[in-house]
Amino acid sequence: MNTVASDPDGLAEGSGDSDPVAVELDGVTKRYGDATAVGDVSLRVREGEFFTLVGPSGCGKTTTLRLIAGFEDPSAGTVRFAGESVAGVPPEDRDVGVVFQSYALFPHMTVGENVAYGLNFADPPEGVTRDERVADLLDLVDLPDAADRDPESLSGGQQQRVAMARALAPGPDVLLLDEPMSALDARLRERLRAQVKRIQSELGITTIYVTHDQEEALAVSDRVAVMNDGTPEQVAPPRTVYREPATRFVAEFVGDNNVFSGEVRDAPADGEFAVAVDDADETLRVGTDESDTRPEPGDRADFCVRPEHLRVAGDGDPSATRDADATRDGTENALRATVASAEFLGETTRVTLDWGDRELLVRTVDPLDGAVTVSFDPGDAHVIEVEGENDR
Amino acid sequence: MTDGDDHGGDADDGGDADDHGDDTDDHGGRLARVRAGTEARALTALAVLTSLTLVVAFYYPTATVLVEAVVVDGAVTLGVFADVLTDPFYFGELARLLSGEPPGVVARALLSPDRRLGIVGFTAYQAVLSTVASVALGLPAAYLLARFEFPGRKTLRSLTIVPFVLPSIMVGVGFVATFGQNGTLNAALSALGLPPVDLMFTLEAVVIAHAFYNAPLVARVTTAAWESVDASAVETARSLGAGPVRAFVDVVAPQVYPAVLTGAALTFVFTFGTFPIVLALGGFELATVEVFVYRLVRDLNYAEAAALAVVELVVSLAVLLAYLRYEARNATSTRGARPLPRRSLVPPSLSPRELLPRAGLAAYGVVAAVVFLAPIASMILASVTGGDGALTLDNYRFLVERQQTGAAFQVRPWPAIRNSLAFAGAATLLALPMGVVVAVLTTRRYRGRTLVDAAAMAPLAVSGIIVGLGLLRGLVFGVEIAGWRIAAGGAVAIVVAHAVAGYPFVVRTVSPGLSGLDRSLVESARALGASRARVIRDVELPLVWPAVVAGAAFAFAISIGEFTSTVVLATGADAYTMPVAIERFIGRRLGPATAMGVVLLVVTGLSFVVIERLGGEHRGL
Repeated sequence: MNTVASDPDGLAEGSGDSDPVAVELDGVTKRYGDATAVGDVSLRVREGEFFTLVGPSGCGKTTTLRLIAGFEDPSAGTVRFAGESVAGVPPEDRDVGVVFQSYALFPHMTVGENVAYGLNFADPPEGVTRDERVADLLDLVDLPDAADRDPESLSGGQQQRVAMARALAPGPDVLLLDEPMSALDARLRERLRAQVKRIQSELGITTIYVTHDQEEALAVSDRVAVMNDGTPEQVAPPRTVYREPATRFVAEFVGDNNVFSGEVRDAPADGEFAVAVDDADETLRVGTDESDTRPEPGDRADFCVRPEHLRVAGDGDPSATRDADATRDGTENALRATVASAEFLGETTRVTLDWGDRELLVRTVDPLDGAVTVSFDPGDAHVIEVEGENDR
Repeated sequence: MTDGDDHGGDADDGGDADDHGDDTDDHGGRLARVRAGTEARALTALAVLTSLTLVVAFYYPTATVLVEAVVVDGAVTLGVFADVLTDPFYFGELARLLSGEPPGVVARALLSPDRRLGIVGFTAYQAVLSTVASVALGLPAAYLLARFEFPGRKTLRSLTIVPFVLPSIMVGVGFVATFGQNGTLNAALSALGLPPVDLMFTLEAVVIAHAFYNAPLVARVTTAAWESVDASAVETARSLGAGPVRAFVDVVAPQVYPAVLTGAALTFVFTFGTFPIVLALGGFELATVEVFVYRLVRDLNYAEAAALAVVELVVSLAVLLAYLRYEARNATSTRGARPLPRRSLVPPSLSPRELLPRAGLAAYGVVAAVVFLAPIASMILASVTGGDGALTLDNYRFLVERQQTGAAFQVRPWPAIRNSLAFAGAATLLALPMGVVVAVLTTRRYRGRTLVDAAAMAPLAVSGIIVGLGLLRGLVFGVEIAGWRIAAGGAVAIVVAHAVAGYPFVVRTVSPGLSGLDRSLVESARALGASRARVIRDVELPLVWPAVVAGAAFAFAISIGEFTSTVVLATGADAYTMPVAIERFIGRRLGPATAMGVVLLVVTGLSFVVIERLGGEHRGL
């Protein structure tokens, strides 16, 4: 069905593929009454990996994290830590560190006492005293002088870092981060995520990160699981998820995209085939990999083209003539569209175009207006899914 | 969490530390696990201990009395019940329905002017009137406290707790001093040249006294709900085109009204089981169910007393259960991110819109002063006034003389004060852990939680007379179990009875704090290695500590003012308390009773301040 069928976890593509599996979910399901929050999820997270669960609200990512932490028990399936089932093991015995969106710092304790709390139940590393351990962790998160402060006197970003230090102090095997940045403003979020990433790679700790922000997920992760309706739709390194989305949902959720549906017109030749696009009276040429299911005329196909792969020229522009030539050669697709709206983003402008009965997203540097010609190389189109007539 | 996929369901419980497998772990881990198991068991043990205390101190004694309603001479019979249910003396015209007369006839009789309500009917009737009066008197106070800013607002808000914990017998004395024939009301009326009124032994006096008690309760719960209304919800309604009145009706009222209902339900239950107020203000002429149960017990007619008490219990429990179900269904923990802004009491302009509510509040202030301040002031005034109207300390001299020369059978002031303080201290020490344990149990989510809640709250609904009688016969007279005679002194029984009466209030103050805690605090602590029991000790209790202290203050105050079961249990001269002493004095002359009342007021006030100092602000009830 999709392009990564041979490697559903994308394990082979991630870094350090020889590392042992730290956390494994095997057919894990969580139901609340009739509602299924997490449905039959199977994932493997390797030791030292930065693994991210990303998806829209209600997709089950937080519940998945809570199942790993042990705050919830699965309705079916098994969670394994280092190959051992943790069924029935309470959270306090799982050796996990958890950072919540609300940070959940204990308001009746100082920052130092917060960080030291986990050391009541686990010894600091050999030769390190409790106080030294607290100081080390506060150094690690760049808050060396905060030990005696009241958590409530800290800013949101500082509280988030204290929560990190507290989670890391007992030396957990796995760090679980549940939307730890979503209460912060955008700029601070970018700074902190870089810090989280730095700390993670310094300690080499297995980290499972939950976020609804796909940009954040792409920025920090070794691998990403894009979740929808309680199941991961694609598990792969960020580049793969971005360039080769496995499903229509992933294509639309991760980054800006133009997703097309249509009917296949001819069998592939020279790595290309033609699709008659719905909602527009045009046929576009689409490139195909050898690994793809071979489409046949009459099949339905979904494919996508990123805005940055769409070239735009205003009418009367010299490049428009060139593009038109290329189109006649059959090497380029050319689409006649009109500008509907534009959002100025600084470096670029995101322009929405009307094309047939649908819209196209493009990115330009210069402002655009009126009628334009949009072109793209068939090789820049990614085929998401081809469905034969018999499958329907 | 803004993320919608955070589902509820606190699946963990204290016992889950035991049931994980034996991992091949290092020695330290195993030790930690053994310790975690012990802690989990400690929580279970505490819960079992609390249940046992409740069984010994409440359920068993109560049951031994109630069972007499259906067991006569060793045989089970519904005869006593049938007699009570079909006796017009108890059920008025309703009894005719229960004894098989057609409903039409009964309905006509009920509508006729000379209908009889019977004792149960009258009790319900006065409880409804008292509830209406309490709500009517409580809502303006809530409006004032929630919507206006003025100096002393916070103090006034804290003071709303005071009437509820004032000893009822003392309030009775205060009302006699205010509304009695020679009370301050008549003094004021005659000074104005108006004819005197006699409110004593009238329904009005009883209803006002009940409002004195319960209106502040209504005001408290309503204020809390009103303050938690998010201003942006109101602003949203306004921006969508609703006027101020419409926004109030559509947005504020639906959020406040459940709290009003809470106050009303509790008021009904409290006033349905009223005893000392009616005893002091109504006498047997206005006998309510509880007063009549007392009378039947005094006449040693236990079977009928028990049957009547069961009727009372059924009514009160039905209301409490309905309320708990309603509360469970409507439980919203949405705390207003931003409360509604308070207005100044001084009108910013002279427009009718600004003046009208403030004029209303001013009028309310006068009524409130008469209802809430006059009884206390009158009691103090009466205690220093002689029969001739001149100021005198004779009443206090009487107390001192009684202390010095009183005969052994007479009630002396000092033992009463000493007993009250000792019982209250001991009862608090017992009620506090019980209340905290039950609060922890009721804030967890599991099947049948409402039932546990109701069972734990049952002492609020059961006749104090019956509890007292059950303890008297069960604990004081002793029970024989397998040849062993187990008996406790009257003092122990009183402490136990007080603890049982007080601990629901500990639960009620502590559990809102516990359920209001951010769940991720608990989960963070657990992920850091703390067992469930350890989290209670390290995180939850420290954070709800002010509520625990408030609960302790409640338990203490309830004990010091408790009259109903004390009067049954304080048989010997060694176990009477201040409220019992007041009741003994009031039988003769008002003067010494008011003096004793002032002593009780001072002692209660001082204890309350001490407890308050140790803790923080009140939450919950």
